[in-house]
Amino acid sequence: MPRPALSCPGCGSSNIVDDALYAQAQLVCVDCGSVVSEGALVDDPVGGSAVSYSWSTAVDKKPCANLIKGLQRVKALCRSLRVHGEIENLSQTNYRQAYQHESFIKVSLQKKEVLAGCCVLVSCRLLNWPITMGTISCLLDADPMVVGAVYQEMVKILNITAPIVNVTDVMEAHSQEYKICSPQVPEEFAANSKDLTKRAVALVELAADSWIITGRRPVPIMMAAIYLAWQSLQPTKHRLKFSLDKFCQIAKVNKHKAALKRITEIKEVLCKLGREIPWVREAVTPDNVVRQVEDILQHRYALLRRALRTHEEALLEECQASCEDSPTDDTAPSEISEPVAQTKNSSSAEQCEPNAERAKRSGDGDADPCTALELHGDTQESQVPATNWGKRMLFAPPCVIHPKKRRMEQPELKDVTGDEEISDSEIDSYIRTPQEARDFALVQKMLSASESEKS
Amino acid sequence: MDESALERYFDDSIANESSFMLGEELGLQDPAPPRQDASHLSAKAGPRGEQGEELDLSFLPDELSTQDDTAAAAESQTAADTSHDSGICPDYNSQDSTAAELQQGASTSGMGTSASPFCPMTPMTPMTPVTERSGIIPQLQNIVSTVNLCCPLDLKFIALQARNAEYNPKVLTMSQCQCQSVVNVTLENMSLFIMVFQRFAAVIMRIREPRTTALIFSSGKMVCTGAKSEEQSRLAARKYARVVQKLGFPARFMDFKIQNMVASCDVFFPIRLEGLVLTHQQFSSYEPELFPGLIYRMVKPRIVLLIFVSGKVVLTGAKERAEIYEAFENIYPILRGFRKHVIT
Repeated sequence: MPRPALSCPGCGSSNIVDDALYAQAQLVCVDCGSVVSEGALVDDPVGGSAVSYSWSTAVDKKPCANLIKGLQRVKALCRSLRVHGEIENLSQTNYRQAYQHESFIKVSLQKKEVLAGCCVLVSCRLLNWPITMGTISCLLDADPMVVGAVYQEMVKILNITAPIVNVTDVMEAHSQEYKICSPQVPEEFAANSKDLTKRAVALVELAADSWIITGRRPVPIMMAAIYLAWQSLQPTKHRLKFSLDKFCQIAKVNKHKAALKRITEIKEVLCKLGREIPWVREAVTPDNVVRQVEDILQHRYALLRRALRTHEEALLEECQASCEDSPTDDTAPSEISEPVAQTKNSSSAEQCEPNAERAKRSGDGDADPCTALELHGDTQESQVPATNWGKRMLFAPPCVIHPKKRRMEQPELKDVTGDEEISDSEIDSYIRTPQEARDFALVQKMLSASESEKS
Repeated sequence: MDESALERYFDDSIANESSFMLGEELGLQDPAPPRQDASHLSAKAGPRGEQGEELDLSFLPDELSTQDDTAAAAESQTAADTSHDSGICPDYNSQDSTAAELQQGASTSGMGTSASPFCPMTPMTPMTPVTERSGIIPQLQNIVSTVNLCCPLDLKFIALQARNAEYNPKVLTMSQCQCQSVVNVTLENMSLFIMVFQRFAAVIMRIREPRTTALIFSSGKMVCTGAKSEEQSRLAARKYARVVQKLGFPARFMDFKIQNMVASCDVFFPIRLEGLVLTHQQFSSYEPELFPGLIYRMVKPRIVLLIFVSGKVVLTGAKERAEIYEAFENIYPILRGFRKHVIT
């Protein structure tokens, strides 16, 4: 059809029609055949059409690139930990869910990577794959505290209750890290990994019973257990003199400072048991206890019983000495053969009768007769001496045996009603005199002036 | 004796311990050796692996109900008592929970054998003991309160005129969210939840008696921390208001409210935190890699408890003293159940 208001540049004719040739619209002059203007292709707005690509093609919203990268990171972590497929799937699901949540959608990429690690961690825990937070932090190369904070936030958001990790379970996986087998180190230092793990696990179980593990970080304990196990597998002079530092160097692991303290604690426990070995003549000290470790672990239950018996006998002797002085209300004597807790209300006389069979009672039982004694003996005392209950047990958490020194509390106001009169003089003591205020202002000005000079 | 028998033996001893306490409370004279206690034992702990006896509650006397009433009355009285905290009560009344747990024992007879035969599988709230009184009273360590002075304040002027004030408007201070990942926390530090802004826009004022610290904001609102009792907190807040008054502002003392109370105490026996988190999973959170204590969020009353292996317990989040006492009385029987003996 002819198009008005257009003239052909070639012949000047105004007879121009739309012609869709090859589906491209053209304005063609009928008279001379020249093309006045091409169609859409030429006249497209510069920089693309007015309608954007995503609007016109109506493609589904793709997951953002970071989410995809994150999921791949989760996968990579699972592969490097060699966990099975279920854990991988669960972690990816968790990651996707957590990622979309408002607390995590806008955080830094570094934090998102930590989130990936935390998802793997929680999935492992839910599906009973033992792994510590320390391992994840190492893999991510992130600060364990940051990992911890992200983990707790994530668990709260996803509303998961994950079971805690048992140190004994993690032990095996952890001991794989130590490169202490034959080809890797010289023969005199080598140890069979199965034996090493077995012995370390036994040491960890012993530590768990004697309150060394509860409340503490697992990795230093495991390091201490492996070190002692390694020493005791072949207690040569050379090995015994080998420090933890050097051991970590040849095993190619990073040393934890806390492991030294754990070694001391475990050695103390071993000494307590080692003293009960009947065929050992010399005194058992932390220096030479490592030689006895094999025997101690093999017979540990029998040794525990003996140690408890000895301990209880020692305590009863002590009680006997002090119980003669304290008054007794209940005179009904009941033997120690009774369940120990009953002695809470019983007189002190009973405790002085040792009964060897009942010595199998735990160390806890030892605390009872003497605390009951204290409570009955001195009803005026407001509190049982705090540290003593730990020292009286055979095994107690180390924080109880060696309590931190606390700053002494100042004597507090008693019987404050809250509505008392407040003396003017007291309040005035908190207010500067005018002269003082002027001086203070002056000094402040001088200080700020000198600071601005420096900077 | 082999290991499994040894285990059973020790678990028996835990049960025996309780059965004897119950025996005394009910006035039963039964100082018999463990063999005879088997009937008590089976009634309380339900069928164990090898014993498999029937649940036999016939020995329960009727007096149990009357004991409840007197015990409950005594408990409410103790809770309402606002006298100062002392340590252990003179009439140290031993435990406690067994009577209550026996009543519910029938429903929990299927419980596992190891850690605690008395804790139910999935409690919605921790069981409250019938016979109360652990004999331990938590001591208040810190009270946080707020008050409105109802007048705008010139903080620079206050900082200039008052001796005990500091004001650093350009200082960035550690915010509360950073505090959450602090691991080595002492009992005293736990109580210092300071409300801060990124730029510290308040005057910090301190008085000696009662030893407290106040944050005074330019809007006239004030936060007072560090007092050891509600009355001391109120007295301290009034003293701060007086100081502000003396400096020339028309300060009043409106809407004094206690926002948080922190208390601590010691149960004097070690606690197996791993066991506690297993049976009370929905309330507890225990991450030894992050924090050495177990965080127990009690539902009723709404208190957060930090439980440590040494037996020390910190209670926080209370608005009233009674909540703290109630929370501790709720947790004590649970902790007693985890008073694990040394040998497994």
